Amino acid sequence: MKRYVLRRVALAIPTLFLVSVIVFAMMRLMPGDVATRMVEGHAYAPTLAALRKDLGLDRPVHVQYAEWIGGIVLRGDFGNSYWTRQPILDEFVRRFPVTLELAALTILVSVVIGIFVGIVSAVRQDTASDYVGRILAILALSVPYFGLAVLVVVLPSIYFKWTPVWTYVPLTRDPLENLKIMTVPALVFGVTRAGPIMRIMRSSLLDVLRQEYIRTAWSKGLSERTIVLRHALKNAMIPVVSLIGLQTPLYIGGSVIIEAIFRLPGVGLFFFEALNKLDYPVVQSVNLIIAAMVVGLNLLIDLSYAFLDPRIRYR
Amino acid sequence: MARRFTIAMSLALVCGLVVAEPAAAQQPKRGGVLRMAEREAPSLDPHLSVSFLTHSYVSLVYSQLVRFPYGPEQQHSTDFSIVPDLAERWTASKDGTVYTFHLRKGVKFHAKPPVNGREVTADDVKYSLERFMAKSGFRSRFDPVQSIDIVDRYTVRVTLKEPFAPFLNHLANPTYCVILPREAEEKFKDFNHPDSVIGTGPFVLKSYDKGVKLTYERNPDYFMKGLPYLDGVVVEIAPDASARLALLRSGKVELSQLWGWVNPEEARSLKKTNPEMVMTPANAMGQSIIYFRTDQPPFNDVRVRRAVSLAIDRKSWNDALLFGEGCLESGPVPCALKEWKLEASKMDPARAKYLVGYDPNEAKRLLAEAGLAKGFTTPMFHWPGYQPPWRSFYDLAADNLGKVGINVEMKPEEYGKYVSTTYLGKFEKMAMGPVTPFTEVDDWLYGAFFPEQPNNRSNVADAELNKMLVAQRRELDPKKRKQIVDDIQRYLADKAYYVYVPSLAWHVAHPPYVKGFRFHDGYGLGPRLVHTWLDK
Repeated sequence: MKRYVLRRVALAIPTLFLVSVIVFAMMRLMPGDVATRMVEGHAYAPTLAALRKDLGLDRPVHVQYAEWIGGIVLRGDFGNSYWTRQPILDEFVRRFPVTLELAALTILVSVVIGIFVGIVSAVRQDTASDYVGRILAILALSVPYFGLAVLVVVLPSIYFKWTPVWTYVPLTRDPLENLKIMTVPALVFGVTRAGPIMRIMRSSLLDVLRQEYIRTAWSKGLSERTIVLRHALKNAMIPVVSLIGLQTPLYIGGSVIIEAIFRLPGVGLFFFEALNKLDYPVVQSVNLIIAAMVVGLNLLIDLSYAFLDPRIRYR
Repeated sequence: MARRFTIAMSLALVCGLVVAEPAAAQQPKRGGVLRMAEREAPSLDPHLSVSFLTHSYVSLVYSQLVRFPYGPEQQHSTDFSIVPDLAERWTASKDGTVYTFHLRKGVKFHAKPPVNGREVTADDVKYSLERFMAKSGFRSRFDPVQSIDIVDRYTVRVTLKEPFAPFLNHLANPTYCVILPREAEEKFKDFNHPDSVIGTGPFVLKSYDKGVKLTYERNPDYFMKGLPYLDGVVVEIAPDASARLALLRSGKVELSQLWGWVNPEEARSLKKTNPEMVMTPANAMGQSIIYFRTDQPPFNDVRVRRAVSLAIDRKSWNDALLFGEGCLESGPVPCALKEWKLEASKMDPARAKYLVGYDPNEAKRLLAEAGLAKGFTTPMFHWPGYQPPWRSFYDLAADNLGKVGINVEMKPEEYGKYVSTTYLGKFEKMAMGPVTPFTEVDDWLYGAFFPEQPNNRSNVADAELNKMLVAQRRELDPKKRKQIVDDIQRYLADKAYYVYVPSLAWHVAHPPYVKGFRFHDGYGLGPRLVHTWLDK
């Protein structure tokens, strides 16, 4: 187990290295030039050359890369934004709890709905409740979450002069108020993400329910409840958990629009605005931090398989 | 006789009452907090950002030497006459090259450290104007300024290299020359930190919760006695337009953006859902243009550009996309800038048709004459993200041009690329987009047509025009200047350097209890709110 974890952590290093190279290169391959914009539109420096020197953009690309990655690895310094000159990590740390909370609640909503409907659908295969569940899943899959978010905000304002958009309050300051603010965006986002979970849950459970050890359980005279929840569900969860792991980057990426519509000051908007302003260090560092989190989360998910299926061993 | 007198008296009384009653009802009340929804500003430092959001947010906090009239002082929404602000009076030398400003005495900065309510002096004015000239993206506005000198504690002298007619207008525009305290920059390095935002304006920035809201409180020591009426202002950061409108509908804000604008379509829907909402049509500055590389084929040929203009069916355009409320722009001076605008009806019709006319057959003939009888294909660079109905604008332009044989290839660009290239005139052949509104006519003329200006997006280089562009800047007599500006508009009528399509229309919308919020174009959110009050 320990060796497995160490090996996975070691494997994460080349992954993150590749991510860092790709995001670094992509920012520089993007059309438009940040220095031109900062000088011609905003007078950040008297001349282009002066600004390039100031930002270090006049040096060879590999030197720029080495300095950025070196700062992170050696000093934990993720650099400063070109535009605001503020440390990126500070802004990230300030905004990350919002996105994290949104992601956690979204996962909660999608998992609860997806697993529940998935189980009902599988256990009552080809009955009315199965069809309803499957229709709901397809519906959730086909409605874009940003469209649903706009409807949820706009329609009640038209018909009831009320809208579920409030002024953001941190969880630590007023948990109840915070929960009120976060519930609707998490529901909107979570419902649309529940579709795939429901479908995987259903097919995986159907598969497990046909296995021999389940037949044995039936022949022992166990109740349906015990068989499904205690014997089948745990094994059927493995692909579902993998799916949640795979969806994690979507929660961060999709949060841009949810944050904009519901006025949540999270990482998504910070990242999006930096991308629009070609703020290289912000895009690079935020991308790298999120990539590291996704890698870490996937490791946790892989480790959770042992809990779900004791036959799985880590070597 | 006596009876007649009585009737007359009664009539007078009734009239008096009728007149007196609304006057009594209109007596402004103190108190209340006005809330508005808007996007986040990229920075709070007025010299390190060219964003109108930045300048609007800090216009609540800062004052200027001179300003435009607002609220009850203004004649109309583009009244850009000059009235005193921190300078109670000023004089100009006869040749217009030396301006002397005399400051109000006893005006104090907000009581926030490190400035702590210190009095404003000539040194602050010199510091602020010089910082503008050194740092702002708009610093070229002050290129004609030679020096800024302190005469005494309350007197500043600005010397220009040459007569410069736009000078006072630039000084009065909140986008440029607000007066800042030096100590704040020394302590915070710039004016972006919320604690560094210390001015002499009507409101004090109390707190800034990034990504969430800006909270302002009334400045109890504001030098305009009894003003502002509001106890405070809150800007609720809401990046999404549909959410901003939903906040207005549900009564969570009083204004759904800085000017309180909604577009004609939203206005119609708002009238249905919230019939109590007060809505006033606002003819705002702003233009929608097709622009060209006039220095490269095929658009270096005036016949091709004229063909583009004649292909645009402006009337149907306005009806289809703007409910007939948009303005059919005729030339570079926007409709809303009434004092400088020369209507197409006052020009030679034979030439004005290239500004406002619709004649697809003539367009085809012109193309044939230019050797393009079979038509041609051109890219149209643009940023698709501008608010509705902009996307339809691009489609309609392509459709109109397609009908005369100009095949438009849509070239949508990512925002970063658009503003750093196309927007600055660096593109191939043809592009389309809105124009940033400016308060000084010089920006619409010199800025858009003089070589090497960043807003000269069509890369115009016209020696005869250049002479007139320079002349209007140097002419200090407003009447004579207006004549030159008219001549420029006449001259440009058939050049089609830019093709103007109808400009957007707006309605200012707010609940009925918001009073005294008169629409004034430009970026003075603070001064607009000075006269605003809440009747509830």
